[in-house]
Amino acid sequence: MISKNLAILVLNEALSTGADYAEIFFEDSHSQGITVENGKVETSTSSSMCGVGLRLLLKNQCVYGYTNDLSKKGLLALASSLKKSFNGTQLITVTDLEVIKAPNRNPIIRSYDDVSREEIIALVKEGIDEINSLKDPRIVRTIGSFGANHRFVAVFNSKGKWFKRASEFGRLAYMVVCADEKGFETGFEGPGCQQDISYFGNVVNVRKTARKAAETALKMLTAKECPSGKMPVVIGNGWGGVLFHESCGHPLEASAISKGLSCFAGKEGEMIASKLVSAVDDSTMPQAWGSIDIDDEGNLGEKRVLIQNGKLVNFMIDDFNGRRMNREGNGACRRQNYRYCPTSRMSNTYICNGKSTPEEIIAATKLGLYAVGFNGGSVDPTTGEFNFGCSEAYIIRDGKIAEPVKGATLIGKGEEILKNIDMVANDLDVGQGMCGAASGSIRTNVGQPTLRIKEITVGGRGGELK
Amino acid sequence: MKYEKFFELAKAQGIENTELFIRKSYSLSVSLFHGEVDNYSSDNGFSVIARGLINGKFGAASCDVWDEEKANYLIDAIVKNAKVIENNDPQFIFEGSPKYKKINTFNKDLAKISLDVKLAKLHELEEKIKAYDPRIHEIEGVFYDEISEDVILMNSKGLKLSQKSNYYAYAGAAVAKLDGQVKTNMDLLLDNNFDKVNIDELAKKIAQGAVEQLSGEPCESGNYQAVLSPNVVSSLLRAYIASADAEEVQKNSSLFKDKLGQKIASSKVTVEDRPLDKTIFAKSFDDEGVATYNKDIIKNGTLETYLYNLTTGAKDGVGSTANAVRYGSKIGTAPTFLVFKPGKHTQEELFKTVNNGVYITEVSGLHAGLNPQSGNFSLQSSGFLIKDGKKDRPLDIITISGNLLKLFQDITMVGNDVKVFLSATSCPSVIIKKIAVSGK
Repeated sequence: MISKNLAILVLNEALSTGADYAEIFFEDSHSQGITVENGKVETSTSSSMCGVGLRLLLKNQCVYGYTNDLSKKGLLALASSLKKSFNGTQLITVTDLEVIKAPNRNPIIRSYDDVSREEIIALVKEGIDEINSLKDPRIVRTIGSFGANHRFVAVFNSKGKWFKRASEFGRLAYMVVCADEKGFETGFEGPGCQQDISYFGNVVNVRKTARKAAETALKMLTAKECPSGKMPVVIGNGWGGVLFHESCGHPLEASAISKGLSCFAGKEGEMIASKLVSAVDDSTMPQAWGSIDIDDEGNLGEKRVLIQNGKLVNFMIDDFNGRRMNREGNGACRRQNYRYCPTSRMSNTYICNGKSTPEEIIAATKLGLYAVGFNGGSVDPTTGEFNFGCSEAYIIRDGKIAEPVKGATLIGKGEEILKNIDMVANDLDVGQGMCGAASGSIRTNVGQPTLRIKEITVGGRGGELK
Repeated sequence: MKYEKFFELAKAQGIENTELFIRKSYSLSVSLFHGEVDNYSSDNGFSVIARGLINGKFGAASCDVWDEEKANYLIDAIVKNAKVIENNDPQFIFEGSPKYKKINTFNKDLAKISLDVKLAKLHELEEKIKAYDPRIHEIEGVFYDEISEDVILMNSKGLKLSQKSNYYAYAGAAVAKLDGQVKTNMDLLLDNNFDKVNIDELAKKIAQGAVEQLSGEPCESGNYQAVLSPNVVSSLLRAYIASADAEEVQKNSSLFKDKLGQKIASSKVTVEDRPLDKTIFAKSFDDEGVATYNKDIIKNGTLETYLYNLTTGAKDGVGSTANAVRYGSKIGTAPTFLVFKPGKHTQEELFKTVNNGVYITEVSGLHAGLNPQSGNFSLQSSGFLIKDGKKDRPLDIITISGNLLKLFQDITMVGNDVKVFLSATSCPSVIIKKIAVSGK
């Protein structure tokens, strides 16, 4: 950790050529990862990460650098090197730093540092035992893993504010590979949280999670190729929210909006989605995978309503991109670690509950696709064109879930898809993922209730849907 | 603290066999938006991965600060991690190969060129993209990146290897707009010789790639004969060759299992790993310290070898193919510079041969739409119709779907239009007999 006095010294050195904002981001993190393959512990690794990132802003210019040399000399050298980008005189002088008061919704109750490797291994193996109990010869490989991460950060900025915060994350994951004479299929489940290890057992049913990964792989082994073309698609709750994350979440980040590089730029106050759609990015969900109490530039986490009954009302904003929008940051500034310059990112993003039931939605669909498992996706925020891959899907025939199909990818344009949502159920759930963008890979929740898109392009090899 | 001290400290804790893998890097990135520098970063990166062999099991740990406290952290973690390993695979601290080829991947002149000169080219790139066509509506950004890296591998058996490399990249992303339709395109130039910077050519590629996609619409869903661009071949080839990883084969989850020496692809397909070619990707030793060599992976459609590291090579009794790579503390395998051997035909000749079909220029979302184990893929794509032997109108909102094994069996002609990609892959265009396209 660096002292307040040293931080003031470094900030003033950084500000001495006229930057209008400077910020020190200190990080000291460590993590432990364990993988169990086919029942045996195969890897156990530890890593430690410690460094400082320094960001200087002047109007619409951002200068960033980092160092692992945390000595006074090292930090001042970093500041001296970065300040060369500007050639003015000092506008702001930092004389004192006041601590930012932030709520602690994600306290560390029992640190992963106090959990032995043996305890983690026993947890992972519990799920492996469950998969083995299926005794299905088509299961050719099982990988169970657990990753625990302790993150300590401190931020000091030229607004005269500072804070420090420690947080911890745990994620349990199972991947199962099945094979028959026709080929391979895989199943994956990976629940995560910002809570201690008791979450896995108390909240997550470890055996059920592992079994689900195996069952998905086995089911997809017998599935036919997914048909292709435009069709109605019912998207399952929870991880189905990756649809909104890609098609709409990324284009609503200030990094794209502020430069007019988003398909939703300039549309605040307009109807961009069906009236049935309200969507939220909420950093304040207690102990959730994507929650933050305070962001990487010192703004408090918020619950941001992005879309209210179809109308675009807000964005994920960081202070820097906010400058081009004449808006202040709303606690959405994040980064993977000190090696990344931070920017506006999502936290826990979901579509809100509607009034239908999942059963009603299925029953109301004569012929279409029911997609329930997803591998993730990607988007070009400028064009709004997105894709996401389904890991588990079924054909709906005459209002009933029929045969499983594999290899489906859904593609479209965010603007069109949001307007095409014609039924929303009341079974909101969230799923955990890692989201990659300019400021690295960060933890995010995606979520939604079951919903129907009346028409979307489905890519598959199974020919026309009949 | 000297790195050698680590081996002494480990020995004092009773760990005889240890290894350090150190990466030191310097990187510079600058981006422009509307003629102004909007992002500038200059970083000195450092990371060290330590491994120690205790009772035949490897313990591993990493950090990014180097002092005695961290060295002791690494040693403590190695002991605790090794203790819980149950896997009995053979493990090695490598003594070294008899000989290493000399390669030069560091151009000392790059650092001598002033930032002003580098920036002037970046401004030129932005201006030239904008000036290329009135339909260029916006430029998302233009980027200059420069990275120089030092990799050092040393171990308690006295092996000490190092390699220095550097490269720069100019890149840009353009937005084209017409009648409410928006299309983007990004391209880059990669080298370590600054004399090779050709801003005119790069600006043209970036701008043209965005503009030519305008006014597209989907084609009818169905099966098409297709030309795949070098870019698409490169993305799919990387995923395909991942099946050559011996670990995947040994663990029963590779498409290439039991296929060694067999014909797995069309006889038009020859794929090589060429770490010793004069490229910015060249390596004289792999991440375990084994001397690299050029080799065929697939020759005229026949699978010639799997890719091995020391452990998987020992398990199959064949030795390493010098393809070890580190993913954090874990050692996997990957080709160093993957080359799809070009044919003799120009891309125009490929279009002529197909006559009527599709030309696929880009695929996206590979992490979601492609399953490396099953080889099945269904990917968001862009491209053009091929009509009467020529590139015709652009295609909007389509996917291509297939299976990697089948796709490489279905290659009927290979072009001579080779392109090299940042993923360390060199590929030409190819013709695919049949691919499922989902559109209207």
